[in-house]
Amino acid sequence: MNLKQKYALKKWQDLPLGGVILEAGNAADYETGTWRTWKPVTHRENCIQCLACWEYCPEDAIVLENGTGPDGKPRKFVVDVNYYHCKGCGLCVRECPVNKEGVVQALGFVRDEV
Amino acid sequence: MKHVAGKPKILPITGAGAMAQAMRQINPDVVAAFPITPSTQIVEDFSQFVADGKVDTEFVTVESEHSAMSACIGASAAGGRVMTATSSAGMAYMWELLYVAASMRQPVLMSLVNRALTGPINIHCDHSDSMGARDSGWLQIYSENNQEAYDNLVMAARIAEHDDVRLPIMICQDGFIISHSIQTMQIEDDAAVKAFVGAHKPYHPILDTKNPVTWGALDLQDYYIEHKRGQEQGMKNALRVIEEVSVDFAKKFGRKYNLFETYRIEDAEIVMVAIGSAAGEIKEVIDELRTKGEKVGLLKIRSFRPFPYAQIAKALSHAQIITVLDRSASFGAHGPLFVEITTSVYNYCDNRPLLLSHTYGLGGRELSMQMIEHVFAESRICLDKGEVNGRQGMWLNVRGD
Ligand code: SF4
Ligand code: SF4
Repeated sequence: MNLKQKYALKKWQDLPLGGVILEAGNAADYETGTWRTWKPVTHRENCIQCLACWEYCPEDAIVLENGTGPDGKPRKFVVDVNYYHCKGCGLCVRECPVNKEGVVQALGFVRDEV
Repeated sequence: MKHVAGKPKILPITGAGAMAQAMRQINPDVVAAFPITPSTQIVEDFSQFVADGKVDTEFVTVESEHSAMSACIGASAAGGRVMTATSSAGMAYMWELLYVAASMRQPVLMSLVNRALTGPINIHCDHSDSMGARDSGWLQIYSENNQEAYDNLVMAARIAEHDDVRLPIMICQDGFIISHSIQTMQIEDDAAVKAFVGAHKPYHPILDTKNPVTWGALDLQDYYIEHKRGQEQGMKNALRVIEEVSVDFAKKFGRKYNLFETYRIEDAEIVMVAIGSAAGEIKEVIDELRTKGEKVGLLKIRSFRPFPYAQIAKALSHAQIITVLDRSASFGAHGPLFVEITTSVYNYCDNRPLLLSHTYGLGGRELSMQMIEHVFAESRICLDKGEVNGRQGMWLNVRGD
């Protein structure tokens, strides 16, 4: 079942009372990406993998993947932005320490043509 | 005299004291309340029951009524049976949350002691607090005296928590006139009340951590109105549920109630419609006028929300003039009860009686028997003339009018 079928609009009789949401974590299905006018883009060549963007993102839209650090230990790496959820607030762009140094950008911020 | 277990007690008690007794017997999971005149004794007595270990209730001493209702909603969503008590400005301070409780379908039980809203500041009875909240989605049940207030609160949980209703309820009594007057009344046996009220059935409670749910989420153009439609259905169903619970109450405790009460209206030409303690005096005046051959009667509202339009229209289908007494003003319009009665009569039956609107008793202004007699006499004049012109919308017992 795709999201469209899953969230087909229901009649009032078919709803649980009082707007209670019975499915835990279904906010993940809610597309906030359409709110965006600007979007962050990753430049991995400049990224120092500090994960600050992931920490600050209010939508949990920074996508991580598992990998191995220089010390040989497993850790997470920033790979991409999930544009289904990213609402383009720009927090990640502002908080990125590489961006703050001002020489190069690890996260760019560009006009989004939706 | 020693109380025998299993038997009701006949007690002289104030209306507010009776509400605290009902709360003790209901023994709710949570009470969150902030004391305010004239409902103070309810919270005061109940906190004593908590201190004395007479109830198992978690009593939350909040810093305001806004917090009281917030705590009630949270505790109800968590899965508890929840009660509170307030008056006037206290309920006004809950305003935002009244709507939240109703739209989240949390059956919070409130004991409301009606008091005028400020200003000028006044602590005495009128119905401006609850009438202002008539669109909030709360069930509203009104009481004529201490016994009715107690009985209504005993019935409240069964009505509000019913699967087909699931709406908060306010049981209203007139400030001071009922809340502070000692009347001899019957307090039922603790175990009998407990059995009647029954266990609370939570609905998708937050504390059921194995089945996590979200209450109070944002609801936009795609679903808000569907949820509101469901809320309206709860109100519609409540008409049936109030009747069912009242029938069951009568079976168990012997006192009969309905959506409204009629007094000598079968052959009445003039029917007065009123809410609350005024009904007692009106009945006295009716008995007096009946001895003089005047065909007068009373329709007393018990359930104002939901409003039983069709049932009331049927009861009023032979009246020739209906005189409505409103104890609150809707400035620039007729009183809320008059508007409902007019809607009822003119849409749900073929009778086309004269309708006369009166406002009385604001801020505790007395309604004397003479005044009621005067209103009946005025109604008679209107009926004889066949019109209410010049008398429509009068304020009673106001100097200058
Ligand atoms: S722009 Fe905002 S929402 Fe999008 S990834 Fe950055 S922090 Fe998250
Ligand atoms: S904040 Fe900047 S440097 Fe840190 S992980 Fe995110 S993109 Fe990379």
